[in-house]
Amino acid sequence: MPPPDLLSSQGLRLDGRRPNELRRIRCKLGVFTQPDGSAYLEQGNTKVLAAVYGPHQAAKSKSSVEGVVVNCQYSMATFSTGERKNRPRGDRKSQEMSLHLRQALTAAIKTELYPRSQIDIYIEVLQADGGAYCASVNAATLALVDAGVPLRAYACACSASMAWRGAQPEPLLDVGHVEEAAGGVVLTVASLPSTGSIALLELSHRLHSDYFEMVLSRAMQGCKDIEIVLDKAVREHLAEGWTKQDVVTI
Amino acid sequence: MNGHVTIRLASERVNHCVASSNELPRFYTPGEVISGMQDFMRGHGTYVEDDCIKSSVAGVMQKVNKLICVRPLKSRYVGEIGDVVVGRVLEVQQKRWKIETNSRLDSILQLSSVNLPGGELRRRSAEDEQMMRKHLQEGDLISAEVQSVFSDGSLSLHTRSLKYGKLSQGVLMKVFPSLIKRRKNHFHNLPCGIAIIIGNNGFIWMSPMQRNVIIGENKDEIQNYEHQPINKSDREIMARLKNCVAALVAAKMMLDDSSIMFAYEESLRYDDVKELLDPEVMLDIAFLTQHRLNSIMEE
Amino acid sequence: MAGLLLSSTEKMYILHGVQDDYRSDGRSNIDYRPMELETDVVSHASGSARLRLANTDILVGVKTEIDEPKPNNPGLGKIEFFVDCSANATPEFEGRGGEQLANMISNLMQRAYHSSQAFDLKQLCILEGKQCWKLYVDILILECGGNLCDAVSLAVKAALFNTRIPFVKAALMDGGSVDFQLSDDPYDCKLLEVGNAPLLVTLCKIGNKCVVDPSAEEESCSVISLIVGITGNPKYYSKESKASLNFECKCSTIGMNGPGSVAPETFKAAITQGIIAAKCLDEALGRTLLRERQECGSYKKNSYGFLK
Repeated sequence: MPPPDLLSSQGLRLDGRRPNELRRIRCKLGVFTQPDGSAYLEQGNTKVLAAVYGPHQAAKSKSSVEGVVVNCQYSMATFSTGERKNRPRGDRKSQEMSLHLRQALTAAIKTELYPRSQIDIYIEVLQADGGAYCASVNAATLALVDAGVPLRAYACACSASMAWRGAQPEPLLDVGHVEEAAGGVVLTVASLPSTGSIALLELSHRLHSDYFEMVLSRAMQGCKDIEIVLDKAVREHLAEGWTKQDVVTI
Repeated sequence: MNGHVTIRLASERVNHCVASSNELPRFYTPGEVISGMQDFMRGHGTYVEDDCIKSSVAGVMQKVNKLICVRPLKSRYVGEIGDVVVGRVLEVQQKRWKIETNSRLDSILQLSSVNLPGGELRRRSAEDEQMMRKHLQEGDLISAEVQSVFSDGSLSLHTRSLKYGKLSQGVLMKVFPSLIKRRKNHFHNLPCGIAIIIGNNGFIWMSPMQRNVIIGENKDEIQNYEHQPINKSDREIMARLKNCVAALVAAKMMLDDSSIMFAYEESLRYDDVKELLDPEVMLDIAFLTQHRLNSIMEE
Repeated sequence: MAGLLLSSTEKMYILHGVQDDYRSDGRSNIDYRPMELETDVVSHASGSARLRLANTDILVGVKTEIDEPKPNNPGLGKIEFFVDCSANATPEFEGRGGEQLANMISNLMQRAYHSSQAFDLKQLCILEGKQCWKLYVDILILECGGNLCDAVSLAVKAALFNTRIPFVKAALMDGGSVDFQLSDDPYDCKLLEVGNAPLLVTLCKIGNKCVVDPSAEEESCSVISLIVGITGNPKYYSKESKASLNFECKCSTIGMNGPGSVAPETFKAAITQGIIAAKCLDEALGRTLLRERQECGSYKKNSYGFLK
């Protein structure tokens, strides 16, 4: 059972948020010129950069006639964590992260449109403060939008945990580093909120199946909230990049 | 003699957005429903789900009769037959060249789609095949036209016209293809004495004017001519043009001969070409150009 | 990065331009492209900086750790450089693709900072022979638009300028081992003396002339580049201008990169050119850093990072 002190008696969390409150998300599309698409996203103190190259001709060994090959690499800057990391990538955790990213993003990309092509998605975590996977998925989605890659819907990821408020179970949204370290359950969901489908679900620690539903629905609600934030950012980006004469060309 | 060094702070960063108007078009974002299926056909940037046409990219909807497309702000080049492109030779293969055109797949230039020296209509012999690398080698730049689009989306190019073919000395700039305005003509001789090819694929080629018009029979002569240094005044104009295009691109403004020429004329108020690298100056030029374009449209 | 493919005529255009001292964007051979700098961008690091030179983007984080000094240098601290070429810059860097380039740059930096006249390691000493600070300078290359070495060295110097090392409050000697108490107050810390820290200047040989700050296109035209590390002048980095008039920049490292070769005369000319360029860079960097420090004053300014 998770330690009960994740929630104060006033019902506030360790970092002062309410149970259903996301950390502040700030983001920007198109931060680099070289990649086809790029984005920067801050979720609380977790900061992530994403770059997308492609779709371009796939390497012969990877090429598939059925659809585009999605290639992901997750990497963490050596100064991103409290204790210095020795290697930015190549360790087991980041390889697993790469796989999970690929899983979630492939579900969103309309892969069947682009046979024999490849999309490279590179994630660089600049600062990790909990929920790095979620921030990576959200940043990658923005980078894909920036690159003009056709998507079924936004892919958003969010995590949720569980705490007790008295005898009442209370799911917590968007788990931060302190809460992660306190050792509660962490349920991570990557979903396409507008269709309601789940692309990836991961649970760490044990959670009684009675509460699973409740925690999941909170995480899904978080994905929906994140989608709204991302959508707003995309629209702002469009408005900024759209000059008057474009409309005339139609 | 000291070089020129400037370091500015992030707090002084210039926002390159040229706010043009308050009336923004309706934007669609991925997964958003555009309309019911009944009377429309889906085009690029859309897909059908649950009897609805939905957008798959973020951009503006375009309707041509019953066809609905959503055009994203930026993407890889999607070629259409008849487009003028500038491309780079990646690989010499048997009977064809692979060309990089910023498309999703590499484009192809067949040996049968180029003009070979000595008459247009003759069979391609085995000798021609062996001479392919003499004609175009890896790294060379060409201008070409899209001949056809294969079923997988890759492009087949041809250079069977005198205006197309290998490009000589000059500067290439890469911008995203959606910034290129589709025009009848993409070859321009600008009044400042520079020839510019605004490829539909977002590759822009600039070179001094006379160089592209020479058609000599004597190959050595062409070779010699190609290797002549470009004089300083042409070089200066080209540098200025290049920086002007960069300024327009930073402000995400559409490129065609008139916008580039306006930017060039506005830039003349800055004497030194390297001043145009400064972000504030770039914004100024984009702003002035936008102003002139607006006043033309009002007329 | 030698991945860029250019046609022979494009190369010729660039070559003639260098000969004419008029490059394709209007710069002369000794001009740098505009740069943008921000320090204190990574909160998990003791010091950090982001430098953008045209579209070359470098992020540096400095982390501190307590270590034991080497027995042969009991009074000195340690500094270590690590370069990571992020795949964000180019797909070629995916996996271990950027390792060679990364090693080249980190070795170069290590050598440039090796001399005591370049960077005084004594300031990192806590207790002679027992404990010292070890600085990890982690360099992340986010985008490549040519001239990586110069940009890296500028960003590193800015990050070190920004680095705060906590004061040691109390030390307990317990037998042979030492126990420290670090000050908890984040503002109770000392800044490093970085005025002398070296800057690297890449001189890219194109034809028979050398240019500074080559773009990616220019780099692919050149067969060899010389990289010189020149120590900085502390007077640019402090407000009280202690007029050290007869200060002379010293060359702390020389490296060569590329398959070509250079004549000794070119070499000499290149180093002189490098010293001049380094002086300009140093002055500009120092002034910018001081301006930033002055602007944000004592309160924590909001960081722009990649947002704005």
